[in-house]
Amino acid sequence: MDEKQQLRISLTLSSSMQLIYLLDTVISDILKEMKFDEEAQEHVNLAVIEAGTNAIKHGNKEDIDKTATFEFIIDEEKLTIIVTDEGEGFEREEVANPLDPENLLKSSGRGLFLMEACMDEVAYSENGTIVKMVKMRNSPMSEIENGRSIDAN
Amino acid sequence: MQINLRHKGSVTILDIEGNLVGPNTIALKNIIDDQIRSADSEPVYMILNMERVQMMDSSGLGVIVAAYASIQRNKGRVVLLNIGGNIRSLIIMAKLVTIFDRYDTEAEAIASFL
Repeated sequence: MDEKQQLRISLTLSSSMQLIYLLDTVISDILKEMKFDEEAQEHVNLAVIEAGTNAIKHGNKEDIDKTATFEFIIDEEKLTIIVTDEGEGFEREEVANPLDPENLLKSSGRGLFLMEACMDEVAYSENGTIVKMVKMRNSPMSEIENGRSIDAN
Repeated sequence: MQINLRHKGSVTILDIEGNLVGPNTIALKNIIDDQIRSADSEPVYMILNMERVQMMDSSGLGVIVAAYASIQRNKGRVVLLNIGGNIRSLIIMAKLVTIFDRYDTEAEAIASFL
């Protein structure tokens, strides 16, 4: 039976922006291991930082008693990242488009746009307190990760 | 993150080293705000040297956009020096490429203020 292997990594952070660097460390290692190209690594790294900032700063409002959880799911085809916060949520449609001329010089409001521009899929659920992001991988999973070679077909 | 502040004539140069991400961006914002405040409504001419910035997020973008808006209000200018490919693509993505003048050498950046 051809079961798809999945590796799961979870990280739970207290809601302090000082911990954002941990996300960078974890996701950088995952991306290198998955052999994403340099541009894809930069994009996913940025999207994860933005999602983390949204969860900790805007969702949990840096309440140290609340946590943000990051789940990284690695499989042969893609990297899936699920970010969950304990905030009140938001309506995606109500967030202004930062590319509109009247918003171009605003100092904030680009986080969601950058996440969506950098990832292949971004979906919001539970009133925006759960964000699922997907990046398709561009190279086969190594034998070390997979335990076997991947059939190109 | 480290920021070195220097002046060449009337031009303020900030050499930025590290990632312009999350809380790191506050230090840059504070230095820029101090420069604008001490100029006392006179035009500020500023170069942000980003040669040693590997990564920037929306918070970093926000700081440099706010700097642009504040400095332009007093008829000054802020330009970017030595931005890497990833930051260049971020600026293009955010449609800020027409806002920021970008230079590859300090001499060119300084000359742009003359």
